Amino acid sequence: MISLYLAQRTWAHRLPAWLKLGALAILSLLVTPLDSLPVMMALLLAALVLYAALGREAVRQIALLRPLLPLLVILFAFHLWSGDARLGAVSVLRILGIVMIANAVTMTTRMDEMMDAIEPLLRPLALFGVAPRAVALMVAMMIRFVPLIFALWEALNEAYRARTGRRGGWRLLAPFCIQTLRLSNHVAEALAARGGAPRANRR
Amino acid sequence: MSIPADPSLIRLDGVTLSRGGRVVLDGISLDLTERRIGLIGDNGSGKSSLIRLLNGLLSPDAGRVEVHGIDAAKEPGALPRKVGFIFQNPDHQIIFPTVIEEIAFSLEQAGRTRREAAAEASGALARHGRAHWADRPVHALSEGEKQLLCIIAVLVMEPAVLVLDEPFSSLDLPTRLGLERLIARLPQQVVLIAHELDAFSAYDRVVWLKAGRIAMDGAPEAVIAAYRRHGAERLAAAEGADPLEGAA
Repeated sequence: MISLYLAQRTWAHRLPAWLKLGALAILSLLVTPLDSLPVMMALLLAALVLYAALGREAVRQIALLRPLLPLLVILFAFHLWSGDARLGAVSVLRILGIVMIANAVTMTTRMDEMMDAIEPLLRPLALFGVAPRAVALMVAMMIRFVPLIFALWEALNEAYRARTGRRGGWRLLAPFCIQTLRLSNHVAEALAARGGAPRANRR
Repeated sequence: MSIPADPSLIRLDGVTLSRGGRVVLDGISLDLTERRIGLIGDNGSGKSSLIRLLNGLLSPDAGRVEVHGIDAAKEPGALPRKVGFIFQNPDHQIIFPTVIEEIAFSLEQAGRTRREAAAEASGALARHGRAHWADRPVHALSEGEKQLLCIIAVLVMEPAVLVLDEPFSSLDLPTRLGLERLIARLPQQVVLIAHELDAFSAYDRVVWLKAGRIAMDGAPEAVIAAYRRHGAERLAAAEGADPLEGAA
């Protein structure tokens, strides 16, 4: 979900969404209980091969996984501290491999195809008054606004550096939260202007 | 496109509105029957609040708002389909990651099934000569292209009125002129807020708002000339003092 949809169509775009999502689910289930280092290395290698097969644009998107890095470092450090570097490497490789493959699914599946595949699973939610379409809307909005929120952070950082010559870091957190809330206010207004979010009783 | 030929109008009758303890609209009465209407005024004069009354984003504290036969107080839910709204910043308006989904959303809001919506959305893109945009991620569009996408997504709902809140502010000149030309050709009634005063030259009527009241209302040349004088006077009054502070 970190990354974005790829504009140019690839062979993976043509695969049905249910197949990609199903394969991803099975793969995740298979590798979760395993803790063999060679298997995890193979998993990461497979992910890299997958990106290479998707083309140069996809490979470029790997850079967008950078925000995951601190998490992986902490995870590895934790295992190192508890005296098992091998298990640390297994965990890091497993997460990285699965996230990359999941990301590849996101990059090659349009939101509406994705929701078509998932909506049957969401249908029971209607019993609790939650419209499946509202969930679909939520997911789509998340994907849409992640790059925008990154851009917001970059803009704040730039403004800070322009006046101080230093990176803003944690000091930007408060203004960032405020700006994010303001953005969500604007978006809520625009959504209301088009008739609001779908409700369970509408359809 | 089936735009209701209802010439009746937009009617505001004694509308008063406060926001955050400040009166932003003070007893406004307006009958807007013309096809092309401009709304001008300084920042904070109440322009944005006024147009937000037209599609139910705001409700008046007192007075009545009627848009093409719909009483805003009685059927607020009917307004979003009657009045298309274009915001200043397209990034606030576009909800979906790809172009086709953004347009299809409007159609699903209007009650189409997903399949119908997708087909009609493709048709709408083709009508605007942008069929190749369908699968593009919206973040890859330029500002002008995003603004056009917003307009296409609103037009598919076939509103009777199109309201635009400073749509030109981040556009370069050629893009702005293109957008002006597109707006000029629309069958809808248009209410446009802009600070680019020459955009109104072919308009039927311009309303100038000042501190929540109508300062002047009439043909574009006269109203805009008066507004330019007002701008010059405010600057002159601030002479000697900090000009920016005087104009703020």
